[in-house]
Amino acid sequence: MSFFGCQTIIWRTSGRGSETGGAHENEDVAVYTWGEESYDGLGDALLEGGDDLNDETFGGGGSVGKDFDFAGQTNLLEPEIAQGKASALEGARPQSVVEQHPRVQHSLESIWNDKSPFSVLPRENGAASRREPPMSQFSPFPESPVLHQPNASQGGPRTLQEIEVEMRAAAQRQQNALRLQQEEDQLLQEQAYQRRLAFQQEREREQNRLQMMQLREHSQHQRTPPPRMLPVSQSPRFVDQRQMMLLQQQEEHQHQLRLQQEHLQEQLRMEELERQLRAQQISQLNQGPTHFSHRRQPSGPTIAELQALQQQQHLRQRSQSPAYRDFNVAPQNSAQLQQRLLAELAQVEYMRDFQGATQAEQEALRAEAMRKIVEAERMEDKRRRKAAKIAHMSRYNDLMTQSDKDFITRIQVSQLVTPDPYADDFYAQVYGAILRSRMGLQTQDERVIKFGTGGGVGLGPNAMQRMEQQVERIVSNARRREEEKGLHSLHSLQGALGKTSGRSYKAAPRQLLQVDDPSTNEGAAKEAAKLSHETLGFAQTSNVVRKDPLTRREVLTILEGLYDVVLKVEQLRRDQPNSEDDEATREWQTEFDDMVEQLWDGLRVLVPLETSNPHPFVSLMAPSKGKKLLPRLTRHIGSSRMLTLITLLVACFTQLDVVRQAPVLDGPDDTAEYAEVDRQTQAFLGSVLQSILPVVAGLELHVVTALFGLLIDRSPDVADVARTRPGLALLTLFLSRVEVVKQAWASGAEAAPTAEAALEQWQAVFNHFFLLLTPHLLSLFPSSRINGASLAIDMLDQPVWQFLAALALQAVPEQHQVLVTSLREKVLENVLSANKGWVADEEERRTKLANVDLFLHALGLDSSLITV
Amino acid sequence: MASSTIQEPFDLIRLSLSERVFVKLRGDRELTGILHAYDGHMNLIMSDVEETIMLVDVVDGAPPGQPATVNVAKRKMPMLFVRGDGVILVSPPSRT
Repeated sequence: MSFFGCQTIIWRTSGRGSETGGAHENEDVAVYTWGEESYDGLGDALLEGGDDLNDETFGGGGSVGKDFDFAGQTNLLEPEIAQGKASALEGARPQSVVEQHPRVQHSLESIWNDKSPFSVLPRENGAASRREPPMSQFSPFPESPVLHQPNASQGGPRTLQEIEVEMRAAAQRQQNALRLQQEEDQLLQEQAYQRRLAFQQEREREQNRLQMMQLREHSQHQRTPPPRMLPVSQSPRFVDQRQMMLLQQQEEHQHQLRLQQEHLQEQLRMEELERQLRAQQISQLNQGPTHFSHRRQPSGPTIAELQALQQQQHLRQRSQSPAYRDFNVAPQNSAQLQQRLLAELAQVEYMRDFQGATQAEQEALRAEAMRKIVEAERMEDKRRRKAAKIAHMSRYNDLMTQSDKDFITRIQVSQLVTPDPYADDFYAQVYGAILRSRMGLQTQDERVIKFGTGGGVGLGPNAMQRMEQQVERIVSNARRREEEKGLHSLHSLQGALGKTSGRSYKAAPRQLLQVDDPSTNEGAAKEAAKLSHETLGFAQTSNVVRKDPLTRREVLTILEGLYDVVLKVEQLRRDQPNSEDDEATREWQTEFDDMVEQLWDGLRVLVPLETSNPHPFVSLMAPSKGKKLLPRLTRHIGSSRMLTLITLLVACFTQLDVVRQAPVLDGPDDTAEYAEVDRQTQAFLGSVLQSILPVVAGLELHVVTALFGLLIDRSPDVADVARTRPGLALLTLFLSRVEVVKQAWASGAEAAPTAEAALEQWQAVFNHFFLLLTPHLLSLFPSSRINGASLAIDMLDQPVWQFLAALALQAVPEQHQVLVTSLREKVLENVLSANKGWVADEEERRTKLANVDLFLHALGLDSSLITV
Repeated sequence: MASSTIQEPFDLIRLSLSERVFVKLRGDRELTGILHAYDGHMNLIMSDVEETIMLVDVVDGAPPGQPATVNVAKRKMPMLFVRGDGVILVSPPSRT
């Protein structure tokens, strides 16, 4: 039983063989004689034990690692054994031949089955390199990664865990071997130390290789970007990033190539060195223990270089996204850490063995090691948790490209941009003004709240300022764009939803039917005629071309257009420039006049009366928004135009919807029609009459007389007008204005050169009106017309009593008689119900009495005088 | 002038501002009321609204040919905000 078959040969050749047996003296191999007669039974006497760990100690039965320099070992033993009898040169040579034998015969299978601890180590500088002929490594295609990737030559991919496990086992075995070697003598320990040194060297290389592998994995990982990023974005930032990445990848690749080349060179150098070493060993037989330092020397700088390069790469990696880095580096680090720790442990143990440290020191060392391990683990854990957290937070990093962000910012900013911020939050500003005036503050200069006055949270003044500038810039840019767009606003939307193919959208659709439209021709003729009439002036009103009244839709469209103009005019008024700036004032005035002219034309007041029935202006007054438009117009168009407007209104009074529809209000009040008419009537009273009231209140008597006469003339039945609330209100308005003028004249406040003539004229018109109205006096009261008694009937009657009071003031005494006779019934009814308590409540009673008194006071009477 | 101001569908709805309109809603509902405001989502603000809700009761197990009974519920609201996603149709009320 021999551990090294070769040794038997050596021993035999070194002279011992002659003593073992003469019969087999000439055999090349040991000859055993079990079962033969000559078997000496020595095999039985062998102590079979303690062999369990032989494999681990000396390597498996298969191939041995590459670094067993037995030549040195055995040569050291040789002097003792052979006592200088045999030549050392002779002893070394056959050994080296035998040792190299299994290596040369390496097959892929044997590598795989290799159980030796060193089989896990790379063969770059060892057996593997020897397998490959050097020529192939200097092929004309040195860049080809397939040829030079250590991975590919490893005979199958291995995961990190596998490697780790193997490394662990190797380390374990190493420790075991060390423990066994404790029992060996000093020389053997020296040998082990050398082996350790070699092993450490190997392990360093292994680490380098691992890191490179991981690096490669890492770069591959980087090379496949997240799917969202696949389309190359135009954003400059993004391009930068990608270019950086590409550059890095290229650099890494170049690094790898360079490293590989360096490896090759190193391998060659190592081979060369080994050869030299062997020669040295031969010449310096007795200096064995120290000669390994030579071996380290040449490879030292290269390894240092490698490490430096890798550190650079590391640094570069670290400068990238933290998520990437930490995720990918973590396993690598842990593997490294474990390796380091194991190495430390082994070293500590070795040191202990080597130096023969005391038990206490050993304990201290172990505790120290444990503490370090625990601390390192804790730090590692902490770091990993942090990395995971960062990775979790940055999960959605870079999901949006810069152009996406820009797009959203643009949308947001476009909401901020407005050519006129004041008009945009008009209501807020008005409300603010009201609020301020209510609080007694008169700060007109602080109309628009300035951006940033509130101050940002946690932002320094500098940041705030910068943000303000930025927003300002964005806003001004967007505004400029908006203006440019405004220049060709129609084209701005062209193609916004994509282009339609073909020419169909440009060319008109093919006409299939050829039908002459007589109405269009006629309409055009009418239009032309009307235009010519208009140019000839209003003198030819008798020749006015009659037209259909405006359709409802036309009315609504015109009204919306008018509202637009009104809003513009109002805005223009707010923008009135200072009076000092003549140029601007003139410009502004021109624009303003232009707008007002548009308004006036839009109202169609000057369209001849006979054009249509209802008159276009009356049609415009039909919708409630038309009625509500008038008060907003009056302040712009001037009082002379307003008088024209009022004249038209009076002339066409019976055409008004509120007059025509008035009988509806005498019907049941629960229909939709009633509600609609009521709404329109309220709008008319509240808007139209209110807007003409100030104008009428300033009219001369003769003008009022003319209007009054016009109203009577143009109305088929003046009583019908009087029976409507708008009509009644208008009549009351005129009568009271006359009364006011009369009183002013009576008191002498106003000079009245033509007073007599005007008064006479007025009285004539009034008498005519009174005559027409007298038969219908009672029917003026809604309470008389409406059958079912309404609770608020007295409220409805009130305007009538007011009108009658105004009438009574203008009436001459004979007319008073007529009035009293006609209304006697109504007055008595009201007074009686009030006095006798035929009323629902006190309020109704008071209303009834107040109504009656309105009229009676005008006659110089009072309800209290009436006793029943 | 009448047609030149109409450029987009919303211009037609604008014509009905402060007018009585008929609004058809999802879920068999109809509204009539005065339109005060609208926006791009067709959110509407209406006053004086009458809502008509059609309640179609299909009798369980009835033969397919049998017409379902339709009940009409009505209610009035002085002011109403209508969310635009329910609006199917806005039109001026039919005039007789």
